[in-house]
Amino acid sequence: MTPPLLVAEGISKRFGALTALTGINLEVRAGEVLALLGDNGAGKSTFVKVLAGAHPATDGTLRMDGVPVAFSSPQDAANAGIATIYQELALSENLSIAENVFLGRELVWQVAGVPFLRRRAMQERVADLLHELDAHISDPDAPVGSLSGGQRQAVAICRALNLNARLIIMDEPTAALAVAETRKVLQLIRRLSGRGCAVVLISHNLSDVFEVADRMVVFRRGRKVAERTRAGTDHEEVVSLITGAHPDVRALEQQQS
Amino acid sequence: MRRLNQYARAFGRRELTLAGASVVAIIVFATTSPYFATADNLATVLRNSTELLLVSLGMTLLLAMGSIDVSVGMVLGLAAIAVGRLLQAEIDPLLAALAGPLAGAALGLITGLVVVFANIPAIVATLGLLGVYRAAIFLALGGGWLSGLPTGLTTLLSSKLAGIPVAALVVAGAYGAVWAALRRTPYGPHLLAIGQSEDAARLAGITVRRTRVATFVLSGVLSGLAATFYVGTYRNVEMTIGSTLALDAIAAVVLGGTSILGGRCSLLGTALGVLLLRLLQNGLLMSGVPSLWQTVVTGVLLLTVLGLERVGSFMPSVRRAGRSV
Ligand SMILES: Nc1ncnc2c1ncn2[C@@H]1O[C@H](COP(=O)(O)OP(=O)(O)OP(=O)(O)O)[C@@H](O)[C@H]1O
Ligand SMILES: [Mg+2]
Repeated sequence: MTPPLLVAEGISKRFGALTALTGINLEVRAGEVLALLGDNGAGKSTFVKVLAGAHPATDGTLRMDGVPVAFSSPQDAANAGIATIYQELALSENLSIAENVFLGRELVWQVAGVPFLRRRAMQERVADLLHELDAHISDPDAPVGSLSGGQRQAVAICRALNLNARLIIMDEPTAALAVAETRKVLQLIRRLSGRGCAVVLISHNLSDVFEVADRMVVFRRGRKVAERTRAGTDHEEVVSLITGAHPDVRALEQQQS
Repeated sequence: MRRLNQYARAFGRRELTLAGASVVAIIVFATTSPYFATADNLATVLRNSTELLLVSLGMTLLLAMGSIDVSVGMVLGLAAIAVGRLLQAEIDPLLAALAGPLAGAALGLITGLVVVFANIPAIVATLGLLGVYRAAIFLALGGGWLSGLPTGLTTLLSSKLAGIPVAALVVAGAYGAVWAALRRTPYGPHLLAIGQSEDAARLAGITVRRTRVATFVLSGVLSGLAATFYVGTYRNVEMTIGSTLALDAIAAVVLGGTSILGGRCSLLGTALGVLLLRLLQNGLLMSGVPSLWQTVVTGVLLLTVLGLERVGSFMPSVRRAGRSV
């Protein structure tokens, strides 16, 4: 059997005196949608920032395809195939969709050492990606500033795919979106996993999570307290895991204190 | 409200507004001074715009990047001294001409390194450098002027190629080259992305520091090139050289529709902004207004445009006007 795409072993993260994460063990397999759940401040964002190379872990190891990796920057993680779509979207509003998708990785041809943009090739590639994601955006030259929140998510996803991401991290991608836009983003997530791309999704919206996630992991106070497959759980149980009312979580927390 | 929006949209077409304003200014000043609307005088306005056109081109890039340089006048001054001294040493005028942009590049590099690596806000860092450069000008001139410089450079720069003045060719070449760099190479999107958000640009993998330093160097080259034309035209370098240049350049660039907050620029707008500014300054002078009022007019113009943009930024139609290069 091939090793999982990504394995986290004993990941801990301290900010000075504050312990944000304690001994997180977790696996992400290719093509699955994994949801991270938990109350505010549970450590979800901190954990994905460790995966994305934005924070170094205080302790623990990450393996990709079974090989230990250490990311010192988001750039490192991106080169290894992990792309993050940030809670505060990092797109340039005044640039076009195509320019955003290729920003920092433009296709060029050199003439006497001067890199000239291959605009046509970039536009075509972006048009293909948008079509493949069924994103309902027709003009790769439109400025991102004119797009809706959901369309911006699609652009960010195109960017990640274009960088050959094999794992896309989305931290509350639908938090600021209206219902119709949320549906589109959820479709995008399904389509990503259909392409064999793994998605780690953070969301407070359980009905969204139940719609797209294959597996769910629950964080409480910096620890992983439960892991469930979608088929093996229901709404109610997940809520009790998050709030700590579930007997398993109680037992675990009693044992720790 | 709808009315207001319509005005806002018309204001978004900045280049048209500027061209219209220039025509109005010409008509108004033609009535206040019989000498204003003559071919000779309008040619003088164009001629007097050469240095500001070049310096403002660099300033456009800096503002688009979310930076600024208030020391450009002193850079022009120091580069002019370099050119002047070489002319005094009877060196080949072509070499002296090249010394301008070269000195400008060196000073731009210093400015860029200070701003980027000391991580000081550009306006503060360049204000400090302005003081340093001004002292350097004072020391280099030793309290006197460079005057009565040899005519070789003047002859060179006032010549024509295929009937077109060298100054026009150089200005057009500079604007063309910068336009191509912005539209046809990764430099354009990188610059605007940095202007929009430095952090986002860094996350995207852009070499932010290198791009920022390079832009200061480019702006220095343009100011140095302006210095060459300055010396060629006036054949002297005085102590107060370049003292109002930064204000003029920033006013012209902002007038032209480049965002003072970065992320958006218009080269055509900058060129039109320079021409309008120079027209107004010349017109006032021709109408007998003391030259002290020139900087007042420039300053008020700058503040008015920034004030109007503040109002406009609450209107989505303006914010979405997007970028033009
Ligand atoms: N850069 C930081 N410096 C210090 N403390 C931090 C930092 N980032 C996060 N924390 C702390 O770590 C803990 C976990 O925060 P985190 O943002 O990971 O929670 P979260 O699960 O994403 O919550 P939410 O659902 O509200 O987004 C919190 O107590 C938070 O205050
Ligand atoms: Mg969070």
